[in-house]
Amino acid sequence: MYWENELETLKRNDLEKLQVKRLKNTIQSAMNSPYYGNLYKQMGLSSDSVKSVSDIQKLPFTTKQNLRENFPYGFLGLPTKELIRLHSTSGTTGNPTVIFHNRHDIDSWANLMARSLYCAGVRDTDVFQNICGYGLFTGGLGFQYGVERLGCLSIPAGAGNSSRQIKLMQDYGTTAIHAIPSYLNRLYEVFLEEGLDPRKDTKLHTFVIGAEPHTEEQRQRIEEMYGVKAYNSFGLTEMNGPGVAFECTYQNGLHIWEDAYLVEIINPETLEPIVDGEIGELVLTTLDRQAMPLIRYRTRDLTRILPGTCACGRTHIRLDRITGRSDDMFIVKGCNIFPMQIEGVLMKIPEVGADYLITLKTIDGNDEMIIEVEVKKDWFNGDISRLDKLTKQLTALIRDEVLVKPIIKLVEPNSLPKPEGKAVRVKELRVALNS
Amino acid sequence: MAYQVSIFLENKIGHLERVTAVLKAAKIDIRTMNLNHTANGWGILNLVVSNPELAHSLLLEKGLSAALREIVVIEMIDQPGGLDDLLKEIVNAGVNFTNAYGRSGYENKNAYFVIDPEDVTQAKKKLLDAGLNIMSDQSIYGTN
Repeated sequence: MYWENELETLKRNDLEKLQVKRLKNTIQSAMNSPYYGNLYKQMGLSSDSVKSVSDIQKLPFTTKQNLRENFPYGFLGLPTKELIRLHSTSGTTGNPTVIFHNRHDIDSWANLMARSLYCAGVRDTDVFQNICGYGLFTGGLGFQYGVERLGCLSIPAGAGNSSRQIKLMQDYGTTAIHAIPSYLNRLYEVFLEEGLDPRKDTKLHTFVIGAEPHTEEQRQRIEEMYGVKAYNSFGLTEMNGPGVAFECTYQNGLHIWEDAYLVEIINPETLEPIVDGEIGELVLTTLDRQAMPLIRYRTRDLTRILPGTCACGRTHIRLDRITGRSDDMFIVKGCNIFPMQIEGVLMKIPEVGADYLITLKTIDGNDEMIIEVEVKKDWFNGDISRLDKLTKQLTALIRDEVLVKPIIKLVEPNSLPKPEGKAVRVKELRVALNS
Repeated sequence: MAYQVSIFLENKIGHLERVTAVLKAAKIDIRTMNLNHTANGWGILNLVVSNPELAHSLLLEKGLSAALREIVVIEMIDQPGGLDDLLKEIVNAGVNFTNAYGRSGYENKNAYFVIDPEDVTQAKKKLLDAGLNIMSDQSIYGTN
């Protein structure tokens, strides 16, 4: 019941042998790039430096900053003639992060995507609608190639235009969808506005959700709204995009494809490896990429390796859902807070709608955390004291979770901004004070 | 049973007008209204209108948080001291309410007082026992 029986169920010993062999190849390819070539020569490193998986610790980390400073070609190990595609981030906060692929890379990525989808129960009999921006964003073409490799009927729907998305689902009997979780919340509202119930009026049975950190509570809400199973997908542009780690039908963590990625979890401050089972920063090395290999790339995503084995029989380790990005974290009144902690509280309260916005603001010289929360319209009954009670309840629950008392502002349903892409959860409006 | 339409509104420019635009388009007449504001940036608009069920469903369709809420509407005489006389009776009947508003009439007639008590059935019984005139739906929704 696997896409690739042998590779997905390799014994640890054999998997590590394969990893060492591929790591050596990766180092060789990487050294063709100006960045790794110069760095490794200076440090006296080569593919001979690694004889076991743990030898990877001899190699230096690669950071987003390194990628930006060497934009665009510093990490490229092949001439342009060999390349067939590039993907890139939007680069709103500096140089974009660009990744180049040759034919092998695209082929390997498509295979990993097909393997991921198969692992989540998607089959060639499915009609798969990819509700995701095509173009430079990896979620569009990444899924497209995977879905085609798997053999589904693919609907490259692209992002936005909710009424049309619903029409496509109805016209072609869509059974599986890939979308970001915040969009599925919005889409559900459109179903209701059009007088439709996705449980009855569609053939949907599988969602693949990712590209945006979300909580288990958020997943369960989506599953209940639509009456489908929603599987967590993890990836990042630097590691191709989607298809890095995926949930299987047991939904107990994301299998990360260890034949293609070497996994480390480190303490982001000391940079020391972290004991299995504890949360730290995910560090990944590509093991099957030729044009632009990345070695010990610090993803800034925080997660942990889940202990034990999975009932599905796959031997590749499982990551816990991403609890946040080290750079998503914000500090209010000396407390470290992740948006996911707040989402976790909000999504447990049934009166609260799907969207929320955290605004950090200086009020009378103090840092304040204002959380705007949409009230579900069918819960409202005209009673003012009920709304007051909800405000107090949310204030207390969030204070208990993050140790900072928030200012809760209830807002009308669907009144928060709905960006087409990833949801914006935190707005920073604080004035930097000169100390 | 008489109903008001209650709408959750943020205190922002144009939000009240969104409601009135819906009523205008459906030719729904407002009999009386009251708007509460809280310190938290939102308030509740209460409306007594010619067709509360229709107003409620149209507002929900527009994505607004609207609810039908049962009220008790008591006849009142439109003259100086009219409300005070009525309140004395309500006090004697032992009825408490969380929100109230009124409507003044014309020619000393057609005025009424709207209350939102915790227990509508109990309140109605007490007020009727006290000899007060609880107005019929027809006379609330259908007169000018």
